[in-house]
Amino acid sequence: MGMLNLVLANVSRKPATRLYPFEVRAPFKEFKGRIVFNPDNCILCGLCQKKCPPDAITVTKADKTWELNVFRCIMCTECVNGCPKDCISISNERAKTGAKEFIKIVVPKVDTPKAAPSK
Amino acid sequence: MTTVIPFGPQHPVLPEPVSLKLEIDNDVVVGVLPSLGYVHRGLEKFIDTKDYNQTMYICERICGICSGIHGITYSRAVEKLFDVEIPERAQYLRVINSELCRIHSHLLWLGLFADGFGFESLFYECWKYREDVLDLLERFTGNRVIHSMSKVGGASRDLTKEQIDQILKTLDDLEPKVKNIEKVFVNNYTVKKRLVGLGVMSKQLAYEAGTAGPTLRGSGNAVDVRNTADWDIYRDLGFKTATEKEGDCYGRTKVRIDEIYESIKLVRNAISKLPDGEIATRVKGFPTGEAIMRAEQPRGEVVYYVKGNGTKNLERLKVRTPTFANIPSLLLMLPGVKLADVPIVVLTIDPCISCTER
Repeated sequence: MGMLNLVLANVSRKPATRLYPFEVRAPFKEFKGRIVFNPDNCILCGLCQKKCPPDAITVTKADKTWELNVFRCIMCTECVNGCPKDCISISNERAKTGAKEFIKIVVPKVDTPKAAPSK
Repeated sequence: MTTVIPFGPQHPVLPEPVSLKLEIDNDVVVGVLPSLGYVHRGLEKFIDTKDYNQTMYICERICGICSGIHGITYSRAVEKLFDVEIPERAQYLRVINSELCRIHSHLLWLGLFADGFGFESLFYECWKYREDVLDLLERFTGNRVIHSMSKVGGASRDLTKEQIDQILKTLDDLEPKVKNIEKVFVNNYTVKKRLVGLGVMSKQLAYEAGTAGPTLRGSGNAVDVRNTADWDIYRDLGFKTATEKEGDCYGRTKVRIDEIYESIKLVRNAISKLPDGEIATRVKGFPTGEAIMRAEQPRGEVVYYVKGNGTKNLERLKVRTPTFANIPSLLLMLPGVKLADVPIVVLTIDPCISCTER
């Protein structure tokens, strides 16, 4: 009897699903969508590369580049929490399907830490 | 004369590959021979290449349904190696994550089970309600399935006031919905006709076969690691173990429905007692020694063994998952069951083969 009530109630309700490509649910504020890198403060320390569990980040000091393999990234936010200069953040917008595999960003200006003055 | 009929590894009722060779005599099962190993991924060896913080993410990927609890249990095992005390708020956050995982896993199982005995509209109802819980988890942890909420030393995400209100509101809405489907599972004539007296395990036999989780509690054994293991927080939250005496498929279904209510209650209690403060402590150094940690997953008891050797990589990680403990009991349940009822009996242990083979 319980099921009959459920079925009758469902007849009058609108569908529980969405017509997906035409009706898109906005992502939640807290959703881990994609990694956003801001190269302005980056010092190429390579901590994000060291912390990344799936080895998705490659930092090359010689070329001054920061590279993310989007297909390998698992959205764990280890790099976001580990960055000493807060260059990496997370956006709640999902990466587009079929986006480029690699995101390569050239770090414009690197403030290399100066050596302590010799006595 | 007996005939051997293969059940799986590809079977419409089971999404996961387990192969059972059924010896059939006159449409009744007389013997079962299981064979496993179709989805072995070598995750326990793979941790050699990752440090102990990164291993948490591998442990979460052992299972797609109880991923949160895998990560939490691994974190607790490594914290035991380091002998660190994590902040109380982090412990409560872990409980909330575990119990939300349990609610969605049990709703998923109820749906699959309804589909198994041919009740498709009930299957859709259950999965519709599960979606609300998945949305909650997405808001709370940032991901739908692989939560990555726990880390060695505490929790990586905090709950805001807004999220707490959302969790309480969704749970308030969910409880009457679960009551609706409970009526169907418990009182419906066709469902009872299909489940009562099927795959019976006595209390003694279930205990001796080393059964775990709702399969064990469905036979009347009040064994739940949340009450017996060394995680005091569940005792503080006032938690009651759900048991049924029947020992058949019907009893195991009722245990899982009761556990959904218990989990809803636990989440509410945990939120009401949620203390303020830090959510993580810093863990320094490399692990040495051995530790064993147990936790109650939706399917039963999971055991983690970790061994550190003073380097950043763990020397050994061993996971005993609940389905591994439940397969022997399945072999005891199946003889005497008709061939058409085999899928239902296999589903009542809630098999997770990817967990078992890792």
